[in-house]
Amino acid sequence: MATKAPSPQADRSPIVAGLLSLILPGLGQVYGRQQYRGGVIFISELLAVLTAVWYKVPAWYAAPAIIWIWNVWDAVGAARGRLRSTLLPIAAALIMGYGIGWQITNIDLPALTRNSHRAAMILAPMLRPDFLSQVEVTNTAWAPVEVPCGPNPPASTNTINGITVTISPNCGKLNDALTLQASGLWPNTETLIQWSTPIGDRLPLGKGFITALYVPADAQGNLNVVIHVSPNALTAAPDPTLPLEHRVYLTQSHPQAAMQLSKNGAYVVDGIIQTLFLAFMSTTLGALLAVPFSFLAARNLMGGNPLTLSVYFIVRTILNILRSIEPLIIAIIFVVIVGLGPFAGMIAITLHTIAALGKLYSEVIEGIDPGPLEAIRATGGNWLQMVRYAVIPQIVPPFASFTLFRWDINVRTSTIIGFVGGGGIGFYLYQWIIKGDFRAVSSSFIAIAIIVIILDYVSARVRSRLV
Amino acid sequence: MLKVEHLTKVYPNGTVALKDVSFTVNDGEFLVIIGLSGSGKSTLLRCINRLIDPTEGRILLDDADVTKASSGDLRQLRRHIGMVFQQFNLVKRSSVMTNVLSGRLGYVNPFLSLAGIWSRADRDRALKALDRVGIKDKAYERADALSGGQQQRVGIARTLMQEPRLILADEPVASLDPVLSHSILQYLEQLNKEGITVLCSLHFLDLVHRYATRVIALKDGVKVFEGLPKEINRAKFKEIYGEEAQEVRATTVEEG
Ligand SMILES: Nc1ncnc2c1ncn2[C@@H]1O[C@H](COP(=O)(O)OP(=O)(O)OP(=O)(O)O)[C@@H](O)[C@H]1O
Ligand SMILES: [Mg+2]
Repeated sequence: MATKAPSPQADRSPIVAGLLSLILPGLGQVYGRQQYRGGVIFISELLAVLTAVWYKVPAWYAAPAIIWIWNVWDAVGAARGRLRSTLLPIAAALIMGYGIGWQITNIDLPALTRNSHRAAMILAPMLRPDFLSQVEVTNTAWAPVEVPCGPNPPASTNTINGITVTISPNCGKLNDALTLQASGLWPNTETLIQWSTPIGDRLPLGKGFITALYVPADAQGNLNVVIHVSPNALTAAPDPTLPLEHRVYLTQSHPQAAMQLSKNGAYVVDGIIQTLFLAFMSTTLGALLAVPFSFLAARNLMGGNPLTLSVYFIVRTILNILRSIEPLIIAIIFVVIVGLGPFAGMIAITLHTIAALGKLYSEVIEGIDPGPLEAIRATGGNWLQMVRYAVIPQIVPPFASFTLFRWDINVRTSTIIGFVGGGGIGFYLYQWIIKGDFRAVSSSFIAIAIIVIILDYVSARVRSRLV
Repeated sequence: MLKVEHLTKVYPNGTVALKDVSFTVNDGEFLVIIGLSGSGKSTLLRCINRLIDPTEGRILLDDADVTKASSGDLRQLRRHIGMVFQQFNLVKRSSVMTNVLSGRLGYVNPFLSLAGIWSRADRDRALKALDRVGIKDKAYERADALSGGQQQRVGIARTLMQEPRLILADEPVASLDPVLSHSILQYLEQLNKEGITVLCSLHFLDLVHRYATRVIALKDGVKVFEGLPKEINRAKFKEIYGEEAQEVRATTVEEG
């Protein structure tokens, strides 16, 4: 860094230089005609002191102290016409930086092994991705129960699909025992019994009301069991004293040999399709809109007069600012404006694409060879012919290559933009992570990996043909 | 055929590239312009087809005033003035064929050319031009797949598409090695013998002696010499190129 400074001359007093640097780091170097070096030393020392003060760890004062002492020695050297090695102060600053960095990032290596049981909890379901499920034929019926009891309880017997279900008594309070009888079920088949609240929440009726209750039907297809009103039946009720109709559901199922997309598997497919089109729309729209901006941001086109030059600076600045904001953050703003969903994500990624491609395109335009333009003009071609034969052939292949690369990046961004409500697979993924449904998380990971790898490969192949 | 009168060019930054230059070019001449780097050779050649607008003076091409031509008239005039460049100025990513065809842009229907549609006749003409410079087999390769000498031949083929009456060549061989220099200049000489007037700037004196029918020399934008190649003796040479200059030959490499 000091290479550009004039070579030091040995015509200054080393004692004065040393004293000056002792009072104010860098001052002695300035006195020794090493203004740049002095400035860097002063700023470094200032930063080192401020950092040490801010983090209040006494050990960190060592670094500014070392730099300070070194700086005095260096000032004496500068006055004698010698430049000292900067190894020591740089090493002191780096050690301090690593120490503080360690402290700030809360590095806790033992945590990696301490919580291994959590890893197992996540990994086990992840090894069984929830994408396909067996096709099942089901047999379902239900009967009503009123909770709590009111003046006109509903009929206690209900027949559906040839299954007759009777509950007695046909009303009750929380935890009351009820007798459930059913006939017409598939014989010798496990039957799932669930409580259904008026808003359709299915509650388990097994042990402690947290596990599922399975009861087998007998050889005649009959079933007789005592159940209890779920203690959670009124959790979502607006007024627990108001009698409302609840239901008890009976479900039998026979698995078949065929496989089908599971419910979550269908969500994964839906999310991936959304993601791909989100990326496709924002890349093409962004690329189209980036073209006019890139012309305005190309110095060789806009440098002609002060007016166009100021347009150039304004457009450049806007593009730079826009490009420095992550699409995730832009998406948060648009989720507020246009609501949850892919539209917000699309706007965010489109804006970011305009900024990123606008810059790259403008660099392509700045880099075109003016020779062919001159040659076409010399043949008597008009302006449009010049653009068609000399400009477009030079810019289209790199434009296309950059655009494909952007598409690649946008697909990746589209997979996580859903975390802030911007649509796509990330929207589902986020909910599954929160719910702890790691089988679904796993299938979305796999789906994301597959499309990213495929697109990576395709875009690299196509781009290599463009150059 | 070409008359340059009191030509002066001052660039916007104040550089005076040409100062009151006058000369005449007759039909069928091979006129060579010499001068040090920065003496104004490129500026002079570009003023003639007005790739650069001169500041003062007149240029008459067969009595048509180039300096006063409207942009439409100018395109008509440029059709007949071919130009060969030191850096070839080909579109590197386009095919050789497209580069050659682009020399015809001044003649064809603009709309068809914008759509990239070329008539059978023009395609044949392009192949014939490539054949003349000996690279017909390269017609469908990308321009940047060719060697420097071949690229310059594409440049000449492109010029031929214009059916030019005058060819301006701005140091056409400065990017090429000595052997290739001769092969390129021989193509220009051949065209010159067929009646095309050539105005060419060159660096090496041996090439000037070999190809020029007449020479003009520029120094700091001023014409300091006009005459036959053999009139450039040691004293004249020192006057044009300065006291310290050594005569450098393009062909020293082969001649030892
Ligand atoms: N666009 C420009 N703007 C300002 N000054 C220019 C411009 N082009 C050329 N000049 C200057 O005009 C003078 C003549 O340049 P020109 O390129 O015509 O010389 P030349 O004889 O062709 O030199 P060379 O042998 O290096 O090609 C030089 O001093 C050059 O710096
Ligand atoms: Mg030049």
